[in-house]
Amino acid sequence: MVASLVSLMSIVAFAGPASASGESVGSCVAEKFEESLHHHGESDHVTSDDIHHVAHDEAVQDELEACLEAPSPILPELTEIIWGGAAFLILLVIMVKKGFPAVKGAMDARSEKIRADLDAAEQAKTDAQTVQSDYEAQLADAKTESARIIEEARVTADQLRTDLSAQAEASIAEMREKAAADVEAQKAQAIADLRAEVSGIALGAAERVVQSSLDADAQARLIDAYIDEVTGSNG
Amino acid sequence: MNVLALDFPPITHLFEWPDILFNGTWYALNKTSLIYLAAVVITSAIFLSAGRKKTSLVPVGVQHVAEAGVNFIEESVVMETIGPEGKKYMPFLTTMFFFILFSNIFEVIPGIQFPANSRMAVPITLALVVWLIYNFVGIRSQGLLGYFKNSLFPPGVPKALYLIVTPIELVSTFVVRPFSLAIRLWANMVAGHLLLVTFAILTAALWDATYVGAVAPFAMLVLMTGFEILVSVLQAFIFTILTAVYIGGSLHPAH
Repeated sequence: MVASLVSLMSIVAFAGPASASGESVGSCVAEKFEESLHHHGESDHVTSDDIHHVAHDEAVQDELEACLEAPSPILPELTEIIWGGAAFLILLVIMVKKGFPAVKGAMDARSEKIRADLDAAEQAKTDAQTVQSDYEAQLADAKTESARIIEEARVTADQLRTDLSAQAEASIAEMREKAAADVEAQKAQAIADLRAEVSGIALGAAERVVQSSLDADAQARLIDAYIDEVTGSNG
Repeated sequence: MNVLALDFPPITHLFEWPDILFNGTWYALNKTSLIYLAAVVITSAIFLSAGRKKTSLVPVGVQHVAEAGVNFIEESVVMETIGPEGKKYMPFLTTMFFFILFSNIFEVIPGIQFPANSRMAVPITLALVVWLIYNFVGIRSQGLLGYFKNSLFPPGVPKALYLIVTPIELVSTFVVRPFSLAIRLWANMVAGHLLLVTFAILTAALWDATYVGAVAPFAMLVLMTGFEILVSVLQAFIFTILTAVYIGGSLHPAH
C-alpha cells in the first residue's frame, strides 16, 4: 500500500504543467505557422514571399489567435471524468465493503465495551452496597445476639448465684440443725448414761451403807430421789 | 526565472495537464487523474489499516484519523441534518468527504501543488450522483407524486404564493442544485490555486528584481497556504453536509 502510494506520488510530482511540456503559447504559434506554411507551399522549399503571404493571411491569423484562447476551464474533460468517477466508485466499494464497517465496527465495539464496563462497574457497586448492607445487618444482628447472650448469661449467673446461695444457706441450716440435734441426742444419751452409772454407784453405795436389802421398787424410788437431788444440786 | 511576461502560459494552462499515460485515448491519464487515484489510495490506506488494528481504548495514529472522520460525519453532518435514520448513508458521505478532502489538499502539498477539484470533472460527477441519490431517496420515501408535490408545493406556504414558489423550487431543486454544488467546490479550488500561483509568481519576480520586495508576497503566500488548507477541509465539509441536507430534505418533506 505504501509502495504504491509512493510510486503514485512520484509520478504526480514529476508530471509537469502543460506549459512545461511544449504546449505554451509560443510553441502553439510556431506549430500552427509551420503547418500553414506547409499547406501554402507546394514544395518543401519555403521562400520569404511564402512567409509574408502566410503571415498576412487572415485565416492563418485567426488560427494563430486561437493559440491565445484558453479552453473553457468550466467544461469537464472526459478522461478526467472517467478517471475521477472510476476512482470514486472504487473508493466507495472499498469503503462500503471493508473500510467503513471495520472502523465503525471498532468504534461501536469500543463504545459497547465502555458501556458494558460502566454497567458492570455500576452493578459491582450495587452488589457491594448490597453486601455492605447485608454485613451491616448481620453485624447489627450479631451485636443484638451478643447483648442478648450476655444478658442471658448474666441472668443465669445471677440465678445460679441466688440458687447456690440459697442452697448453701439451706445446707448450712440443715447441718446446723443436724449438729444441734446430734448435740441434743448426745447430751441426752450422756445424761442417761450418767444417770445409769450414777444409779449403779449410788445403789452400791447405799447397799453398803444400810447393809440392808431393799426391794426393787424401793431401790428405784430411792435412786430417782437421789438423782433428782443430785440434778437439783447440780442445776 | 522566466515565468513572467510572454512565456507565461494562459491562465487555464495552470489547470490543464498533459497526458502522462495512454496519450490521446479516452482513458488517458494526467496529473489530475493521478491525484484522484492518490485520494483513493490514501483514504483506503487509512481506513483499511485503521480497521485492521486491534481495538484499543484510546485510538492512535491512522485509527484516530479514521475514527475522528467517521465521528465528525456522524455527529456534525448526519445527526445534524438527517437524524438517526441517516446513518445508512454514512459510508457514502464519509467516502465523499475524504475523497474530496484528499483531492483538494494536494493544493498545498509541495511538489504537487494542484487541487484536483479545480478541474470540473469530479465536482460535476459527484454533484450528479448526489442529484440522483436525493431524488431517488425522495421518490422512494414519499412516492413519485408525493415527492414532486412536496418539492414543488411546499406545505405551509399560502396558495397564492405557489405562483412564485413553485417555479423557483422547480429550478432550484431539480436544475440548479447539482450545478451550484459542483461550481461551489470547483470555483473555490480554482480561486485558491490562482491565489497561491499569483503570490508564488509575485514572490519569484520580486525576488529576482529587488530581493526585499519579495518579503510581502512571500508572507502572503505562507498565509494563503494556511488559508487554503482550511478551504480544502471546509469545501469537503460543505459538499458533504449539503449532500446530507438534500437527502434529509427528501426524507422529511416537512422540514
